[in-house]
Amino acid sequence: MSEVIVITSGKGGVGKTTTTANVGTGLAQLNKKVVLIDTDIGLRNLDVVMGLENRIVYNLVDVVEGSCRIKQALIKDKKYPNLSLLPSAQTRDKSSVTPEQMKKLTDELREEFDYILLDCPAGIEQGFQNAIAGADRAIVVTTPEVSAIRDADRIIGLLEANEIKQIQLVVNRLRMDMVKRGDMMTVEDVCEILAINLIGVVPDDEQIVVSTNQGEPLVGSDALAGKAFLNICKRIAGEEVPFLDLQKKASVFSKLAGLFKQD
Amino acid sequence: MSQPVIMKSNKYGINLILNPVIPFSELLGHITDKFMESEKFFKNAQMALSFEGRTLSKDEEYQILDTIAQKTSIHVICVIDYDEEREEYARQKIEQCFTEDCESTGKFYKGTLRSGQELECETSIVILGDVNPGATITSAGNIVILGALKGTAYAGASGNETCFVAALDMNPVQIKIGNIIGRSEDKGLLASIRDRRKTATEPQVASVSDGRILIEPITKNTFNNI
Repeated sequence: MSEVIVITSGKGGVGKTTTTANVGTGLAQLNKKVVLIDTDIGLRNLDVVMGLENRIVYNLVDVVEGSCRIKQALIKDKKYPNLSLLPSAQTRDKSSVTPEQMKKLTDELREEFDYILLDCPAGIEQGFQNAIAGADRAIVVTTPEVSAIRDADRIIGLLEANEIKQIQLVVNRLRMDMVKRGDMMTVEDVCEILAINLIGVVPDDEQIVVSTNQGEPLVGSDALAGKAFLNICKRIAGEEVPFLDLQKKASVFSKLAGLFKQD
Repeated sequence: MSQPVIMKSNKYGINLILNPVIPFSELLGHITDKFMESEKFFKNAQMALSFEGRTLSKDEEYQILDTIAQKTSIHVICVIDYDEEREEYARQKIEQCFTEDCESTGKFYKGTLRSGQELECETSIVILGDVNPGATITSAGNIVILGALKGTAYAGASGNETCFVAALDMNPVQIKIGNIIGRSEDKGLLASIRDRRKTATEPQVASVSDGRILIEPITKNTFNNI
């Protein structure tokens, strides 16, 4: 049974695209057939994070308008042949696609893939409506900041109103040092405000910036964020995985390993 | 009075101000002319009619109504006696019934109101869930929240300041009762979460006292004077 999952947040810059790239790659590592769809028409960037920009020939709007077949627009990942990307169009805008067209597209992709991940644009306008149209479940990404949480609450309300039953939360960019000092909200604080099930906590990690710049998702690596993302993938696939102990400093060995990897 | 007939609209329909001295037959002619002039404007309209400035006999009233019915497409549904005292009395009665109705009847809403969601209710309302920051609950009567009030609540929306807002966990951004507004203290969201953790939450009720919103714990005697 394939699933269509929308990754959304309301606010921009909280890590939707990073989460989509890492969760997609992680699910591929778990031997699932995955397709990522960038629905942020006009502000294309999932392909950049995946390091696949140079392979784009056709895009989402071309598929929807019938200028090409779906197969032609899908880009295979560099590492994982069971992972594909449907890039967004850069020269068009959100009104080039309708929710009905998106639903039809996701339904067609269901036949071939286990997971269809939709990277949602920021905001609650047409782009958001397009992204959630065909979704079975939603992952709401937030950071432990009041502005991001307020927008997440609004988004959850809209998802509920659109009858998306399963809505889960990723708390991104948590800084344990700040939480310890009492300067940042704890995961418990965030969960209390939003009152939805938590599916993952991702610590703030420099390695994310490094991996994004390299165009290679870090999921599955020894970096704490990499482990956290892989755990999210396992939970999506139905496994029960305990939450990481983020208090623990990464071991000296894994730090060293990280250093060598960069070189 | 210079004009024999003046037409004035009110919220029910048309008020005719009639010349008290000219003979009725002449007056009837003027009324007919007036209605025929404005027929296009009122085409097929349904309205109530009231008379002012002249006491008409039943027979005269019928003659006017018959003429309007025959010569125009206007439907006069009823004739209203114009009487200031009686109107004031009727208005009071209607408002009293409405107020009693919205206070004594209520609805239930199950679910949490999230940021951006608004719920309006013409009666009192019980929320089975939370009202989050950025959400608004408005009621003409009372509001009871079996959960946390963290957003905005507006009770007695038609101006009734005897209404109340009760919540299991009272931490509103703003409460308005009738025309009185109370707001939360200026404190960050994180600090307010911390504070709430420290003190055990208890059910509280907000009402108007001396022209200000007063929030106090619910006790046995709370509802004696409401």
